[in-house]
Amino acid sequence: MGKLAWALLPAILCAQNFNQRGFIETDLSLYPETAPNDSGQVVDDDLFRYEASYKALPWLRLAGAFDARFDTHQEVERTAHLDWQDRSLQRPALSLREFNATITKGKLTADFGKQFIRWGKADILNPTDRFAPKDFLTVTDPDFLAVLAARVTYDTGADSFDFVWQPRFTPSRTPLINERWTVLPEAVDGVVLVDLGSEFPGRSAFGARWNHIGSGYEFSASFYDGFNSLPDFQSEPSAVQDTIDFVRTYPALRLYGADAAVPLPWFTIKTEAAYYTSPDRQQDEYVIYVLQFERQIKELSIVAGYAGDAITARTPTLQFSPELGFARAILAHAQYTIDSNRSVAVDTAVRQNGRGSWLRAEYSQAFGQHWRATAGYSWIRGDEDDFLGQFHRNSFALLALRYSF
Amino acid sequence: MNRLAAVSVLISTLCVALWAQDARQIVAESENRSRSKSQQYEGTLEVIGASNKVSVKRWEYRRIGSFGNSKAILRFTAPAEVKGVALLIVNHTDRASDQWMWTPAIERDRRIAAQDRSTRFFGTDFSFEDLEERDVDQFDYKLAGDDAIDGAPCWKIESKPKESKTSQYTSSLVWVRKDNYVVAQIEDYSKDKLIRRIHYADIQNVSGIWTPRTVEVLDANRKSRTVLKLEKLEYNLPMQDEEFTLEALRRG
Repeated sequence: MGKLAWALLPAILCAQNFNQRGFIETDLSLYPETAPNDSGQVVDDDLFRYEASYKALPWLRLAGAFDARFDTHQEVERTAHLDWQDRSLQRPALSLREFNATITKGKLTADFGKQFIRWGKADILNPTDRFAPKDFLTVTDPDFLAVLAARVTYDTGADSFDFVWQPRFTPSRTPLINERWTVLPEAVDGVVLVDLGSEFPGRSAFGARWNHIGSGYEFSASFYDGFNSLPDFQSEPSAVQDTIDFVRTYPALRLYGADAAVPLPWFTIKTEAAYYTSPDRQQDEYVIYVLQFERQIKELSIVAGYAGDAITARTPTLQFSPELGFARAILAHAQYTIDSNRSVAVDTAVRQNGRGSWLRAEYSQAFGQHWRATAGYSWIRGDEDDFLGQFHRNSFALLALRYSF
Repeated sequence: MNRLAAVSVLISTLCVALWAQDARQIVAESENRSRSKSQQYEGTLEVIGASNKVSVKRWEYRRIGSFGNSKAILRFTAPAEVKGVALLIVNHTDRASDQWMWTPAIERDRRIAAQDRSTRFFGTDFSFEDLEERDVDQFDYKLAGDDAIDGAPCWKIESKPKESKTSQYTSSLVWVRKDNYVVAQIEDYSKDKLIRRIHYADIQNVSGIWTPRTVEVLDANRKSRTVLKLEKLEYNLPMQDEEFTLEALRRG
């Protein structure tokens, strides 16, 4: 870049085509109970996020986002390298959250690079959302991860066709083995677990989705051929007594999905379903579906529904599967906006057999143009052998303070 | 019925018909005079709560087309925590608009259902319905007399939504200025109860179109007000239909 270009850079960045935003947030989690593998009861998690986009040309937009994290509970790595892959077991201290180029030509849009891709219409659980791995270090409060992909969308207004090719796999981040969100069975008491890491798939993934907007309804059909971002845990024989070695593998997955939204006079119905098949027979095959009702009554927004599943073929593997864990359950979200600065929200999931339940209540208040404070409590109850119930020692209070810019 | 009575009924009916036609024509002329191929502005909103607490928001607004089949995207630029939140409005001549809201923090769009349009839009005193355009043929009109707003003589017109129009309001009173056909005030009612009063002021001629540069909305229930000031207002800029799709809403 020449001297003139450097001199002009501030002016370019100050131009209307440049957008930036971000926040710095500190979260304090207070756990009243200890867990067998985790005595920590106070966890502080700090995050600085910066997002910027620049419209370099009328048809070209560049976007990037950067995260810097620190915590008191070793969920964040203590090395200072810039991570762009999101493949580590811990959260990276410094990471390139997103980096992509968007090219627009008429009805055609192409996105290349690390990006967020969200499919599906339901709000509570999205079975068709396959290019959206998550960070599950806190199981009840996951965060989405971007994927490295090429995405081409042809949008006519009434119909859109979405094609995604993901050359490099991004796994979901599962709870750490030595922390409270991994609940180990009593059978492994006194056994040393040796984490041998992950075996990532070598080939790429592909997906396509057609979305149609009609007069008073919308529906989509989608297809995905790739890998489950959630791992199987494969144990391997160990030479050392009372030791189990294990490795994460990611089963092949082929999915056929559909979703729809139909606004009716009194409420909106949203539904989403997907049939998961396993070409390599390394995971269960099943249908998972959500049916939800949505209604806004003045300042009160209510979403309530049911998530169900039907397993069509079982495979004896040990898999971390929060999607199935939140299925066969009644799920609901309600939010009341008190005024332009204050709101309260409640989320809940109750398993139909009554063996696991989760309820989160939050109060949030903005102060001025930049500050927001949130206080909440997540309450978990249930039996050890239920996905939700196993976390019954992990009820926690959350205090968060965010400065947005 | 004697002849005098019959003539009286006929004259009354004709008068009512003429009144009704006039009222519709006034509204249609008002819409015609504000017609443009596109519109763009930066809006600054002051939301003034019942306790006089003020919060400031900003949005950018772009619209293609005029009353009827127009499309608009409204994108928040401040405060920082809602920056990037956007609303796509696709107006239809024969029915209520379609609206989708984009929330960048969760990378998701959400269709705003018709029954949810009475909700306040993002902490302002506008409801989602107030942001859509009101096509003249979706309402019945009746002239309710003359009045003055800010000293300017106005026609006072009562409008009621036809069956095809889904609305939270059962009727509205619209004041149209006689000098330039600009809407000076709207009062929206549910049955006989005032829900919102929208007052248009600071009327200026921009590119040949008389445009209010200040819009004040009063939420009669909450006793809160929102004052919208239109800055950097421009008409008839070159815009493409492709800039007003769900995909465009997503990419910002």
